[in-house]
Amino acid sequence: MATVIPAAPQISLEHVQKTYPNGTVALRDVTLEIPKQDFVFLVGPSGAGKSTLVRLLIREEKATSGIIRVEGQDLSRLKRRHLPYLRRKIGMVFQDFKLLPNLTVFQNVGFALRVTEGALRHLKPKVEEVLSIVGLEGKENKFPDQLSGGEQQRVAIARALVHDPRIFLADEPTGNLDPATSWEIIQLLLQINARGTTVLMATHNREIVDVMRRRVVAIEGGQIVRDEDAGGYHAPALESH
Amino acid sequence: MHRLWNRIDFAFSSAWQNFWRNAAVSVASVLIVWVVLLALGSLLLVLHSLDQIVALEKTKASAISVYLADSTPLSSAMDFKLQLEQDPRVSNVTYVSKDQALARFRQLPALDPSVIDTLGTNPLPASLDVTVKDIRNLGAIDQAVRTSPLVDRSPATNYEPNVIDKIILLARVAGIAGLVLIIGLTGLSVFIIMLTIRTAIYLRRKEIEVMKLVGATDWFVRWPFIVEGLIVGVIGAVVAVLIVGFGYRPAVINLQSVLIFVPLAFDPSYLRVVLAAMLGFGLLLGSLGSYLGVRRFLKQ
Repeated sequence: MATVIPAAPQISLEHVQKTYPNGTVALRDVTLEIPKQDFVFLVGPSGAGKSTLVRLLIREEKATSGIIRVEGQDLSRLKRRHLPYLRRKIGMVFQDFKLLPNLTVFQNVGFALRVTEGALRHLKPKVEEVLSIVGLEGKENKFPDQLSGGEQQRVAIARALVHDPRIFLADEPTGNLDPATSWEIIQLLLQINARGTTVLMATHNREIVDVMRRRVVAIEGGQIVRDEDAGGYHAPALESH
Repeated sequence: MHRLWNRIDFAFSSAWQNFWRNAAVSVASVLIVWVVLLALGSLLLVLHSLDQIVALEKTKASAISVYLADSTPLSSAMDFKLQLEQDPRVSNVTYVSKDQALARFRQLPALDPSVIDTLGTNPLPASLDVTVKDIRNLGAIDQAVRTSPLVDRSPATNYEPNVIDKIILLARVAGIAGLVLIIGLTGLSVFIIMLTIRTAIYLRRKEIEVMKLVGATDWFVRWPFIVEGLIVGVIGAVVAVLIVGFGYRPAVINLQSVLIFVPLAFDPSYLRVVLAAMLGFGLLLGSLGSYLGVRRFLKQ
């Protein structure tokens, strides 16, 4: 799946600034590089700018200044009609799952293929494939409200996987889940990462970040205050042993 | 092929769902489209009838009937006829007796002959039908004959100098009033369809959010709503077309029996044009309303 092209990072931000129309500066001078197959935790307090960063990467928002590249594509120059094709390369999950309550598990996942005009012949095998990756075989005909929170997040993950994304963005994916379930979701993200997909996860979950010892990018007040490999939720100096 | 089919299937099934999900609003927009098209169809047919009447009146305009008093002896009538024939402005004079007038009257379409029979006597006067060489002299002839003692008083002739002008004016007023009404109703219906689409978009906001998130194109998101507008237009149009299509002929026949002297006619070829125009206009209303709806309310 992953064709490794060295040097060029898969995601890069250069001096990115985001100021909302009301004057709020959400990000200031953010420079960040994420290579292919990386697994990155994006940490920081609420309102620090994590969600803004995620929204910029799927171009739900445009940067006020600076350059954002995803797979070599300069997002500020991306035409609106090409935007859907960027989104198909990026799998995205959220704290609130964003499942459609009137559709079954199978239909929720298939929806992503249907609305992107994938040939319907391939829909069933593909949906079955991603549902088995997230471990939801046998729950195809359940509706979201018949599932636990963890299962609902798995459906959302399966939906994000149907286009074989090269990048997986997770915005607080464990925010509504209990610790045990959170760990199951993290295991799933690791598994996706192991298949060659770059994973960027914005989170508040200190325990997970501390245990995983993966790359940590910390944002505070719209600025990157720390970027270390195999890091913890807080900077080493602040951690009490 | 599969992709196209998927696109069409998705658009139509979503549109149909939308239509029923906010049924009250959808029915309101169908009703307003229906009213607009009914007004449009009726106006076109009324104007067409007035046109026909004007055309017929114009051919009749070079002649007047001079009604003779019942007391006039036939010899006097013939003298009068001769006198008129010698007038250089007159091209032809025909004598029509009371019996001929009655026979002619019985020929009128949609008239019940028994109406006359119940009177017992013949109420119709004899007349001299005068044809002039130039229509502009009709008024002068009318003035001249009125002074003759042989001529009936109520009425003296059937001369109505501005009947054509009156009909043309009526057609113009009806046309302008109808046009204003239709323009107003068109604006209203486009607005109501737009609101319907806006409601549908609101009800589907979660789905639209997910669609955009997973990479659906703008047009894939828009099509179901455009199709919903077209469905509204088509349903409104079909109901209006059925009513006008089946109602036109009975309406003409009923009016003929009320307006005995007005030459109304049923014109099936023009009716087909009107029905096609109504259907086309219905589709236009639906697509315009929904296009404005998605344009204003689906901008990310």
